[in-house]
Amino acid sequence: MAQINSAPYLNFKLKIKDMIKVELLTKVYRTEEIETTSLNKINVEIKAGEFVAIMGPSGCGKSTLLNILGLLDNPTEGSYYFLDKEVSRFNERQRADLRKSNIGFVFQSFNLIDELTVYENVELPLLYLKISNEERKKRVTEALEKLQIAHRKDHFPQQLSGGQQQRVAVARAVITNPKVILADEPTGNLDSKNGNEVMNLLSELNENGTTVVMVTHSHHDAGFAHRIINLMDGQVVAEKIKAKIHV
Amino acid sequence: MFRNYFKVAFRNLMRYKFYSFINIFGLAIGIACFTLITLFVLDEISYDQFHSKSDRIYRVVGKLETDGQGERSSSCTFPLAAAIKNDYSEQIDEVVRFFNFQEQSHTLQVGEIKYNEKRTFFVDSTFFKVFDYELEKGTKESALQNPNSIIISKELAKKYFGDDEPLGKFIKYDGNSQLLVTAVFADLPAQTHIHFDALISFSTLRPFFGADLQSKNWVWNPCWTYILLKQDAKASDIEKGFPNFIQKYYPDHIKNQAAHNLQALKDIHLTSNMDYEIEPNSSKSAIYIFAAIGIFILLIACINFTNLATARSASRAKEVGIRKVAGAHKSNLVFQFLIESLLMAMFAVVIALVLVEILLPIFNSISGKELILDFINLPLLLPSIFTIGLLSGLLSGLYPAFFLSSFQPIKVLKGEFKNSKAGKIIRKSLVIGQFAISVVLIICTGVIFKQLQYMQSADTGFNREQILVVPIRPNMVDQVRPFVQEIKKDKNIINVALMNDIIGERHNTHEFNYEGMKPGDWIYFPALMVNETFIETFDIKLLAGRGFSKEFKTDDSLAVIINESMVKHLNWGTPQEALGKQFYTPFGREKVIGVVKDFNFVSLVNDVGPFVLDIPVMRQRLTWSKHLAIKLSKNETESTLNFIESKWKEFVKDYPLEYFFLKDNLKQLYKAEENLSKLVAYFSVLAIFIACLGLFALASYTAQQRRKEIGIRKVLGASISGITTLLSVEFLKLVVFANIIAWPLSYYLMNWWLQSFAFKTTISVSIFLFASILTISIALLTIIFQAVKAALSNPVSVLKYE
Repeated sequence: MAQINSAPYLNFKLKIKDMIKVELLTKVYRTEEIETTSLNKINVEIKAGEFVAIMGPSGCGKSTLLNILGLLDNPTEGSYYFLDKEVSRFNERQRADLRKSNIGFVFQSFNLIDELTVYENVELPLLYLKISNEERKKRVTEALEKLQIAHRKDHFPQQLSGGQQQRVAVARAVITNPKVILADEPTGNLDSKNGNEVMNLLSELNENGTTVVMVTHSHHDAGFAHRIINLMDGQVVAEKIKAKIHV
Repeated sequence: MFRNYFKVAFRNLMRYKFYSFINIFGLAIGIACFTLITLFVLDEISYDQFHSKSDRIYRVVGKLETDGQGERSSSCTFPLAAAIKNDYSEQIDEVVRFFNFQEQSHTLQVGEIKYNEKRTFFVDSTFFKVFDYELEKGTKESALQNPNSIIISKELAKKYFGDDEPLGKFIKYDGNSQLLVTAVFADLPAQTHIHFDALISFSTLRPFFGADLQSKNWVWNPCWTYILLKQDAKASDIEKGFPNFIQKYYPDHIKNQAAHNLQALKDIHLTSNMDYEIEPNSSKSAIYIFAAIGIFILLIACINFTNLATARSASRAKEVGIRKVAGAHKSNLVFQFLIESLLMAMFAVVIALVLVEILLPIFNSISGKELILDFINLPLLLPSIFTIGLLSGLLSGLYPAFFLSSFQPIKVLKGEFKNSKAGKIIRKSLVIGQFAISVVLIICTGVIFKQLQYMQSADTGFNREQILVVPIRPNMVDQVRPFVQEIKKDKNIINVALMNDIIGERHNTHEFNYEGMKPGDWIYFPALMVNETFIETFDIKLLAGRGFSKEFKTDDSLAVIINESMVKHLNWGTPQEALGKQFYTPFGREKVIGVVKDFNFVSLVNDVGPFVLDIPVMRQRLTWSKHLAIKLSKNETESTLNFIESKWKEFVKDYPLEYFFLKDNLKQLYKAEENLSKLVAYFSVLAIFIACLGLFALASYTAQQRRKEIGIRKVLGASISGITTLLSVEFLKLVVFANIIAWPLSYYLMNWWLQSFAFKTTISVSIFLFASILTISIALLTIIFQAVKAALSNPVSVLKYE
């Protein structure tokens, strides 16, 4: 199908290290009777420090791609290089190990644990990294202050507004200083004011060097990205480079 | 990390209070039942182990049988003890005998205070060398040294002497000898097959029998005889020598029928079921049944736990997803969920301990025990209960832990969570298992009750209504005779009979020489020594010949009556043909004058075999008159009893009156079965209760999960009753299926149990139907509430929510 001419972009390739590279990636879902091809031999490269938006209609495979990039799922075929390392055949334990120190997630539905306070939710990834108590306290406090929710640290998620919850989720995503943040429609459940705040947060993180990959329906949100990848029926149909990235 | 786990666990408990309650409470009941049963079993298996030398103590028991007839006696003859000690001096350290005249009770008297004491024994002075009992007062070395010495329990000391010093005081024994109190026991342990309140020195017996009986009579065997082996002696070595021992000492006529065995002291309580046991013993099968019930109830509670945790997985799915995204390994999550289960199990153990404290008095009253939660004397008890609790938590938490931790984050975070098919099947099988166990318990309760009722009310072939039994002893007879003459005059006293043992409960065996036997040979048959009025008092049916009669002066020495089984046993043809056959006793050349229809001379556990009724010869009659059987009219029982009591006081001055109704006494024969039926009944109620707790919670979860489906169905026009049925049927199917599994299982089990009874009830279908209807109704009641609630919910709110 349509191969994209990305010559100007290739210039960067020489200078910038690949953060994420997938080649001929295919994902097929099989149920008892139906076989659905969610991703069909796609190639995507994402450089360190990029802010990429993935767009496309419902069912185009964008979330599947994000899940595979986030090591939450394995592809059916093709290869996936994360920091130049082939990870597509990693087992669950290896994926979890890679994920917990390199990737942060932000979801549309926030996905905070209801039984944990704001503080405890943000602290959670550090627990699985076996970070010392002191260090945890320091980092969580910093993150909460940075995201201006320190005053809410002992509240439970149900006691917060949507915008606040998403800020907690972002705090949790960045607490491990991940190289990549994967955001799945991060503003989908927010009003425009709170949505903008979250987008500004992501931009800020990106400006500070974190690679951001975001799935979105919103052209407004996509406007924050350097590059937009359009998917349809499991294939990349268009790619638009909007701005140079800061390295 | 641990803190985080505990926090989440605790917050989950608090957030879902209802399910936490059911989960913890169900498990607590399970652990409490298990603990009660463990206490019971521990008590049962610890009998007679408090003696420091209990491993080396054995009881000598004997058998005297020909063609399967005769006796298996738990007691031995008088001279056996000395002979065995002498012949096996290499292996045996000490020998001690217990003797009580084979009588129910003896009268002890201090001044005006007199009681009939049931647990009085004569014991050899070696008693303390064999057994370990502590004294509160007196010394073990001298307490039983001299004739006419008595050691009494603390309770007796209080009863007879109040706060006075009992040592050095005298107690009058059965109206004649004065016994000197030489010692007082400290608390006597309950876990023994011999309970006593007073022990009298064996040498006190000398004036009763003279030296002769003690050295020469190798036939009368009323002495329970215990031996203490030397350190490395083996019981089996001694047993090997018994045939020679018997040949050496026993008189010719029984030499070839007699055999002896040794019973380990510790095994007596659970395994011994011989003739003339000191007290009825327990049985291993009861222990097995209880242990099984304990384990099954715990299992039901664990199943609840597992089921609820798995059913609730939907509410934890998101958390699993988030934790995985945040970097948790599967093992982290398994660990977390197991810790949660263990935490709940710990709560359950604490509640269980409280429940045990509350339930112990009830349990004790049913089981007839005096169990306590004694953590000091049973140091392993508390850790064991906690271990059981932890294991239950672990066992029931294992499946949910693996189930929950295997959720895939992308799916659960997208809300695509569905209960897996495998999970559903496992949950359903677990519910089936729970209810199957409950149904089995209910059916068992039914069958055990039916058997009990059958035994208590079956036609035993003799009348037991309105029969008052008064135990008497030889030395009372002079006073009893005028008493009997006097009460016979009352119109409400229909008849008075004599018997040496209690009809329907126990009997002795006696030697006979029937037609065809070599003269001088004797065979031992079960028999009752009675008087002329016995047969009519008990309405025993004569098949041929006549009963004993005062008109025939020679009936005591020339007549016996046998039962049908004896006629069959001896192949004598019809009852009519048996009349006139020779049936000699050592006291007379007796002949069969009558044949009676078989009656149950012992409990219905045993079959009816050959049996003899005989009148002792005149000079022996006193010795054999051990019970008066007084038949009362159905009217004015109360006043007749008062009348008897007043006449007794008038004529039998030296002895307190002791009496009981035969019917009540015979019911006691089935005490073990009665206790069993009660306990099984209580535990089946608990089992059903726990199972229903689980079912209730499961039904409410299912209803919640199917909200959307119910909403859509309602929008499309489903009726409330239709939806209620839809939800109920799903669970009812499981309960029905559980019944189908339980039926053959319980049939098999109860068939096995009934095997131990010679006379058994039928296992009727009605019990099975009852159990099924009961469980199905209870289950339906449990589910229907949830089903109706779900069916009544407003579909709009549900669909909007989704």
